[in-house]
Amino acid sequence: MTQSSGSPDKDLIRELAELLKETGLTEIEIEVDGRKVRVARNVTVAASVGPGTYSPETARPPREHGERGAAEELHHPGTVVSPMVGTAYRAPEPGAPPFVEVGSQVAAGQTILIIEAMKTMNHIPAPHGGTVLAILVDDGQPVEYAEPLAVIEKG
Amino acid sequence: MFDKILIANRGEIALRIERACKELGIATVAVHSTADADAMHVRLADESVCIGAPPAKDSYLNIPQIVAACEITGADAVHPGYGFLAENARFAEILEEHQLTFIGPSAEHVRLMGNKIEAKETARKLGLPLVPGSDGLISDLEQAKKVAKDIGYPVLVKAAAGGGGRGMKVAHVEDELEPALATARIEAKTAFGDDTVYLEKYLVHPRHIEVQILGDGEGNAIHLGERDCSLQRRHQKLWEEALSPALNDSERNEIGEVVASAMRTLRYRGVGTAEFLYENNEFYFIEMNTRLQVEHTVTEMITGIDLVIEQIRIAAGAPLTFAQDDIHFNGHAIECRINAEDPRTFRPSPGTITHFHPPGGLGVRVDSGAYAGYTIPPYYDSLIGKLIVHARTRTECLMRLKRALNEFVVDGINTTIPLFKSLLAQPDIADGQYDIHWLESYLARS
Repeated sequence: MTQSSGSPDKDLIRELAELLKETGLTEIEIEVDGRKVRVARNVTVAASVGPGTYSPETARPPREHGERGAAEELHHPGTVVSPMVGTAYRAPEPGAPPFVEVGSQVAAGQTILIIEAMKTMNHIPAPHGGTVLAILVDDGQPVEYAEPLAVIEKG
Repeated sequence: MFDKILIANRGEIALRIERACKELGIATVAVHSTADADAMHVRLADESVCIGAPPAKDSYLNIPQIVAACEITGADAVHPGYGFLAENARFAEILEEHQLTFIGPSAEHVRLMGNKIEAKETARKLGLPLVPGSDGLISDLEQAKKVAKDIGYPVLVKAAAGGGGRGMKVAHVEDELEPALATARIEAKTAFGDDTVYLEKYLVHPRHIEVQILGDGEGNAIHLGERDCSLQRRHQKLWEEALSPALNDSERNEIGEVVASAMRTLRYRGVGTAEFLYENNEFYFIEMNTRLQVEHTVTEMITGIDLVIEQIRIAAGAPLTFAQDDIHFNGHAIECRINAEDPRTFRPSPGTITHFHPPGGLGVRVDSGAYAGYTIPPYYDSLIGKLIVHARTRTECLMRLKRALNEFVVDGINTTIPLFKSLLAQPDIADGQYDIHWLESYLARS
């Protein structure tokens, strides 16, 4: 968990941590008055993508119940999962403002992210209108099929 | 050499390929469907990417997702294993267009051998022996009689558009030719909307014998002996051995050299298998598989050569590591396919494995992704592992196989293990006296 400046707002963090547990999310980031708070918990997700280095290793143990592929345990009905493998971008081009931020109001069909796969930019639309509760990927992050991308609370 | 290989497969073969990569110091990327998130090939890989929903067409056959997985992981080559995309020429081309190496032969050769008619025509040109038959279609009874007399009875009347046994009739003597021709034509017309037929010599008790080859794509190729895969049920191999109990050294060297020479002419690259029917000391080409095969392991055991490592080296542009003179056959090896199936009805038996104890000891190899607690998903084929035993002689090998099968514990699901135990009690198996029909008639009897 990181915080940009000032002393930690314990109540807010506690509240977010509760929300994290309730929703089964792995991470929540909010921004209030220029102060960014992100709470995250450790979950072994199915993916270990990204530039990896070769290391002879023993088999990872089977995941315990409660840490399966994130998609299966994310019970929040507003979770948007990736329909494809690719690289997620939060903005239409480098330097441009992101499509959405946490707290944004979105309409059904509005682009929330782009996923680049095989040199094609695929717009990921909001499946329903509402408020963006969380954005679960960073700009330029590789994503796999069914990986949670964002949570949009219906409203 | 490659830095990172993506393995576009699942199960025991994905694991088999990971092992070769690790021994070469190459990083591995496993891809998997949502149903395989807990599979051993995913757990043992350096990285993994979920590429789609459980149905194979959405994941293991989904070319754009696999290419995207290469992009996000930086893999520079793809090993297709067997099945799925292993013999998909378009996949090989798409990878090439994306500057990714397909670990296999050229797309052109995959396509050539994937077409039944072109494959036979190519085999003929390359000097591989074919089943004698009418060179073209049969137009009338008189022509059929003449061709049948030339090639000798029994003959098989086959629909040109055929498949799956429909539109096929056997004539054992000339009198049976007219009704066989008529019935085959009617069946072909009904099944395929096309009543053209041709004639082929009918083999009564053939064995299935296949020759393993290795080529560098530059005109060099060697053979690694044969495998006998005659024990089949509904064209599914269950038990394979090397070398074949039916061949002697001169037959072995002769057919091996015929195939290797054909592959030199073709400038074939990578591993490949020419499959033949064998009857009365004659070989008849059926088809060529342009990929690694399930039963490649028995060849590895008797030659001491890791075929997947050789396959990867060749794909990376290295020359052949071995000359024909370097290949020596050492002892005997048998592979049994452990399928999650009822050993009597062969009905698939998906479910959770409660206990798993693979056999061990000298000369025993188990290639499997199974483990205690593993749930076999219902979406894919039923092969959960392969037991391979190696010994100095076939007799020792059979004793070792019996010992290993008795050690093997797979609880919670049905497997083919009891079938193999019962086969070992059959004198025909002990004597190596079986053909491609033996297993089905044994199953019908018992």
